[in-house]
Amino acid sequence: MESIYNLLPPAIQSAVQQLPLDRVPQLEEIRLRVGRAVELIQSNESEYLPISLQEEDVDYILGKLSKHSLYMMDEELRRGYVTIEGGHRVGLAGKVILENGQVKAIRDFGSFNIRIAREKKGVGQRWIPHLWQNGRWVHTLVVGAPQTGKTTLLRDLARIVSTGEESQRIPSKKLGIVDERSEIAGCKRGIPQLTFGSRVDVLDACPKAEGMMMMIRSMSPDVLVVDELGRKEDEDAMREALHAGITIFTTAHGASLAEVAHRPTLRPFLEERVFTRILELSKSPTGKRVITLRDEMGKEIASERSVTRS
Amino acid sequence: MIKIVGAICILAATTWIGFEFSRQYSERPRQLRQLKTALRSLEAEIMYGHTPLHEATRRLAKQMPNPIALLFSSFSKRLIETDTTASVAWETSLREVWKWTALNKGEFEVLSQFGQTLGKHDRGTQQKQIVLALTHLEREETEARDRQSKYEKMIKSLGVLSGLLLIVLFM
Repeated sequence: MESIYNLLPPAIQSAVQQLPLDRVPQLEEIRLRVGRAVELIQSNESEYLPISLQEEDVDYILGKLSKHSLYMMDEELRRGYVTIEGGHRVGLAGKVILENGQVKAIRDFGSFNIRIAREKKGVGQRWIPHLWQNGRWVHTLVVGAPQTGKTTLLRDLARIVSTGEESQRIPSKKLGIVDERSEIAGCKRGIPQLTFGSRVDVLDACPKAEGMMMMIRSMSPDVLVVDELGRKEDEDAMREALHAGITIFTTAHGASLAEVAHRPTLRPFLEERVFTRILELSKSPTGKRVITLRDEMGKEIASERSVTRS
Repeated sequence: MIKIVGAICILAATTWIGFEFSRQYSERPRQLRQLKTALRSLEAEIMYGHTPLHEATRRLAKQMPNPIALLFSSFSKRLIETDTTASVAWETSLREVWKWTALNKGEFEVLSQFGQTLGKHDRGTQQKQIVLALTHLEREETEARDRQSKYEKMIKSLGVLSGLLLIVLFM
């Protein structure tokens, strides 16, 4: 949290720090908009602090974000977010500058959205025995709608792969992460900010298809973690990886496995039964999180209902 | 004998005064030139080195002679140690160092305006701002050189000659 407090202008910082201590761990987002009250979001509920962001505060935040060197953040300004220490992410909005019809940068910033990264270590623990078979990890696909915790689960699985699991006699393996949206590892200048074991290599902000090939050629991982498969060129790279003897952990957007099976990029893989294990994340009508484990045929092996509301 | 010693003393003193006054005219273009070199280095650090501002200015401070070095080192220190924006840090450093320089109000305006843009723009715009400041400084430098060629020699000789005048009067 320290790195987030540091970012905030003094007045807002003290207002946030005055929150009751038990509230702070639940914060998900701090939203700042010029001339508007500061908004705090936790578990889909929002609350406003009686203080607003002044125009001169924008420079202060930008100065802090960029260490007074905005010219070093061309890439971040093009993508619209900055990853800071601790893996937290600051989304930016304002006037967009175009060049040849492509976004070149954002300037005249109007809103900041500080998304607080929270690791949930142990969410993947339960599924480990199913994903480790005959001395190796099996290809795994995590399916879920947005906000169901796909990436969180994938991150925890990745952590376990790289550290190994002594209680189940699983040795640590070389792990490669192609992190196109800097969401899995939360890299800051190429160094992952979230906890992984020591055997992790990350290609940050790299397009998936190229990144997978680069990883295979240069880092020879045992397990390759890729977020959100879906584009045409990802398919070829996937095939390359599969035939290189590398295990793939990946995710796909979709409410259910049946829905994902219709997507053109993923259909061939599902038909060929490439993914030995499929974790399906969904929300029950009562708002509880349900994880279903399926085998390559789509048959349910196990399921878990989480007690906590997501 | 005493008379000659006194005369030499007077001559030396007025000559020294003349040189001291004329130095103002030679210092200004010199410092302007150094300032321009510094800004060019800063541009290179930003464009090709991808160096953060506090680091770039710290390096500049090492390369430059005083008082220009003072400006950059104090700015770099302020960026790291205090909780301000780059423009405020630049402005305070500029005011702090100003009395040690031979520069004029015109240059102050140029530099303080330049400070308003520091670290606030993407790479292309930042470069343009530096080039803009350089153009302004260029203009000031031409003017400073003009004045130097006009007044520097004159004041030097004025010192020597006024010494001679005093000697003649007292003899």
